[in-house]
Amino acid sequence: MSDSSPVHHSDLDLTLLHRGKVRDVYEVDAETLLMVASDRVSAFDVVLPQPIPHKGEVLTLVTAWWLEQLDDTLPHHLIAVDPDRIIELYPDLAASRDAWARRAMLVHRTQPVLVECVVRGYISGSAWKEYRQSGTLAGEALPAGLQESQRLEPAIFSPATKAQEGEHDENITFGQAKEVLGNELAERLRALSLDIYGHGRDVAEQSDIILADTKFEFGFDKNGELLIIDEVLTPDSSRFWPKESYGVGRGQPSLDKQPIRDWLETLDWDKNPPPPDLPDEVVRAASDRYAEVFERLTGTALADYSPPLFGDGR
Amino acid sequence: MGQTTNPLDRYVHPLSDRYASPEMQGVFSPSRRFGTWRKLWIALAESEAELGIDISGEALQQMRDAVDSLDLEKAAEYERRFRHDVMAHVHLFGDDAPEAKGIIHLGATSAFIGDNTDLILHRAALELVRTRVVRCVEALSHFARRYADLPTLGYTHLQPAQPTTVGKRATLWIQDLVLDLEELDHRIGALRFRGVRGTTGTQASFLELFEGDHDRVDALDLAVGRRMGFEATYPVSGQTYPRKVDFAVQASLAGVAASVSKIGHDLRLLAHLREVEEPFESEQIGSSAMPYKRNPMRAERMCALARHVIVLAQDPAFTAATQWLERTLDDSANKRVSGPDAYLALDGCLVLLENVARGLIVNPKVVERNLAEHLPFMATETILMHATSRGGDRQELHERIRQHSMAAAGRMKEEGADADLLERIADDESFGLDRDELTAMIDPMRFVGRAPQQVARFLDHDVMPVLEKQREQILNLDDPEIHV
Repeated sequence: MSDSSPVHHSDLDLTLLHRGKVRDVYEVDAETLLMVASDRVSAFDVVLPQPIPHKGEVLTLVTAWWLEQLDDTLPHHLIAVDPDRIIELYPDLAASRDAWARRAMLVHRTQPVLVECVVRGYISGSAWKEYRQSGTLAGEALPAGLQESQRLEPAIFSPATKAQEGEHDENITFGQAKEVLGNELAERLRALSLDIYGHGRDVAEQSDIILADTKFEFGFDKNGELLIIDEVLTPDSSRFWPKESYGVGRGQPSLDKQPIRDWLETLDWDKNPPPPDLPDEVVRAASDRYAEVFERLTGTALADYSPPLFGDGR
Repeated sequence: MGQTTNPLDRYVHPLSDRYASPEMQGVFSPSRRFGTWRKLWIALAESEAELGIDISGEALQQMRDAVDSLDLEKAAEYERRFRHDVMAHVHLFGDDAPEAKGIIHLGATSAFIGDNTDLILHRAALELVRTRVVRCVEALSHFARRYADLPTLGYTHLQPAQPTTVGKRATLWIQDLVLDLEELDHRIGALRFRGVRGTTGTQASFLELFEGDHDRVDALDLAVGRRMGFEATYPVSGQTYPRKVDFAVQASLAGVAASVSKIGHDLRLLAHLREVEEPFESEQIGSSAMPYKRNPMRAERMCALARHVIVLAQDPAFTAATQWLERTLDDSANKRVSGPDAYLALDGCLVLLENVARGLIVNPKVVERNLAEHLPFMATETILMHATSRGGDRQELHERIRQHSMAAAGRMKEEGADADLLERIADDESFGLDRDELTAMIDPMRFVGRAPQQVARFLDHDVMPVLEKQREQILNLDDPEIHV
C-alpha cells in the first residue's frame, strides 16, 4: 500500500483537462493522458467531504488487475500503471510521484464514444425501477414476475447517456443507441460489453462477489481502433454485492460503500448537499473495506500487489 | 382566382420538398402549430379556473380530451367563413369540447395565441438546431483527432504560408460551432413568454374579467406561462412580444449558418486541391456532361442554403425596426415566411454538414505532395542556421539561398518544372550539406509547431465537456437522411 496521504483533489504540474466525480484527468502530451483516481467518495450521488484513504489506489489497481487478464484479447487504453514504468516513459513525472503513484493510469488519448455501455446481470437500481413501472428494461420487455435483485440470464446490455455532474445517468434503448452510434458500432459495443461482463461475473463469483452490473466506456484511438477506456469493473463503475448476504426481493448491501451508507442512514440528513462530515472511525472503516474488497477479489493484499506491465513494457 | 386541385400545378417549397429534415418540418407543421393553440387555450382556461373564474371541470376535461383530435379540413371550412384563422379554430375547438364552447379564448386576443405559439416553436426549433450542431461537432471531432498530426500546407491570403495539420484546421471549424452552441444556449435560455396581456398589452380585458383584482391578473400571466414551460414572461409588452426577439434568434441562426458556410467554402477549396473530398456515393454522377467529375456538391449546397439563412436575418431586423406604436400587422406575413424558412434552411445545412463530416475523405499522398512542393522554400531559414553552424558565413549563404530560391521559383513558373531548390543547395558546396541532411531538415513535422498538441488539448479540454453536457440531446434524434 502506498504511504502517501489521502487525496481529495490531486494537483499535479500538468494541464488538468477534466475533474470528474472521482477521477482527475491530466494531459501528458498530445497522445497521452494521466488519469488520477482521487480518494473522493460519493454516497447518494453527493460527494462527501472526507477522502477515503486507498480508495483511488483500489480503483486503479482493480482496473489494472482486470486488464492484465484481458490484455491479449481486448484492446484497451492502458499504457502503464506501474509507477517506475510511468517514470521511465515520462521522467518529468518523478518529482510528483507521491501524488499519483498507484492511483494513476497512463493511457492513450481517445475520442470517447458518447454512450455508456451498461451491462446488467442482476436487476437493481434504475433498472428495477423501470421494470417495476413498465415491465421493461432499456425499453425492451422482460419476463413477468422478476423480483428485485434477481439474476438476469442472459445479462442485458442497457446503454445510458452520461449525466452531468450531480445528475443520474439516463437509460436509453438499444434502438436509440443504434440511432446515435450506427448499427455496426452499437452491435460491436454490445457484444464486447457482454463478453467482458460475463468474464468479470464468473471471475468475481469465485471470490463470492456478485458483480451485479457494470458500466464500460469506449473510445477510438487516432487510428480508428476501438479501445475500452476509463475504469474497468471497479467498485465505482459496478455494483459489488457480498454473496453471503444475497437474497432476492429486496435491495442488497454494497460490498464497498456499506459502512458509509450505514452511518449516513443514522443521521437526519436529507441526501442533498451539503453533506455531513464523516467521523474518523467511519473513514477508517471505509478505507479498510476498500482494501478488503481488493484482496477478496484478487486474492492479493493491496500492499503486496504490483501492477503488471502492459503493451511495449512487457 | 381559381383554386387548382392538382398538386403538380402548385408551387412546392424546396425546403420542405428537398432540404429540411422531417423533425424540423414537424416543428413548423400545421398540426404542431394548431395543436399548440389548443394547448394554450387549455392552459388559459385551467389558469382562469384556478384563479376563480367560473369554468366547469367538465369543460376543462372536454378540452383536454380534444387536444389531439384536430380536423384541419373542418378548420379550413370555418376559416373560409370567418376569414380569421384564430376564430376558426376557436369554433372548431368548441365543436370538439361543447361544454367549453362559451369560455374558450376568454379574455384573450389573437396575439395571445399566435405570439405565444411562435415563442414555443422558437424554443423547440432552437433546441433542434442545437442538437444538430452538437452532432456536427461530434462528427468533426473524430476527424480532427484522426488527422491531428497529418501536416498540410497552411494558407494565408489563399497563398501558401506555413504548414499546419489537417486536424488543426478542423479545430477551427469545430471552435466556430462551439461558439455557436454558447450563443444558442444563451438564446434558448433568454426566451420568455408573451403571457396574457390583451389588445395593447395593458391586461385591461383581464382586469375586467377579474373585477379589478390586479393580483389575480398578474398571477394569470405567470400561471399560463408556467403551464407552457416558461418561467418568465416579458415584463411589458404592446400587443406582441418584442419583435427584437425574432431578430436576435435569427441572428443566432445566421451565426450558425456563417460557420457552416465557412466550412463549406474550406471544403470546396480543399476539394479543388484534391486533398479532402466529401463522401461520394458509388453511383453518384458528378456532371451530366463531364463524367470524370466529382463535384463538392454537398459543400456547395451547404453554402447556398447558409447564404439564404444569413440574408433572411435581415427580415426580422427590418420588422423590429418598423413596428409602429403598440403594433402594426406588417410583421405578420413576413414573419410567417422568414422564420420557418431560416430554420428549415439551416436544418438542411446542418444535416448536410453532419453527413459530410462523417464521411470526409482525406488523400494523404496529395496532401503530402502539395506540401512537399513548397516545403523547401519554407525550410530555408532552418537550412541557413545549420549551414552557418558548420562554419559558413550567414550573410553570404543568405544571398546564395535567395538566388537559388529565385531560380527555382522562376523555373517552376516559366517551365512548369518541379521545385529543385533542394538539389541546388545540395549541389552548392558552400553549404556543406548533403541531400540526406537536407531531406531530414524538411521533415514536415518540424514545421507544424504545436498543432498536434493543440488539437488534443482543444478536443479533450474544450470540446468533450460540451459534448457530454449535450449528450442526451444527441440521442433523441433520428440519423438524418440526405437526398443528393
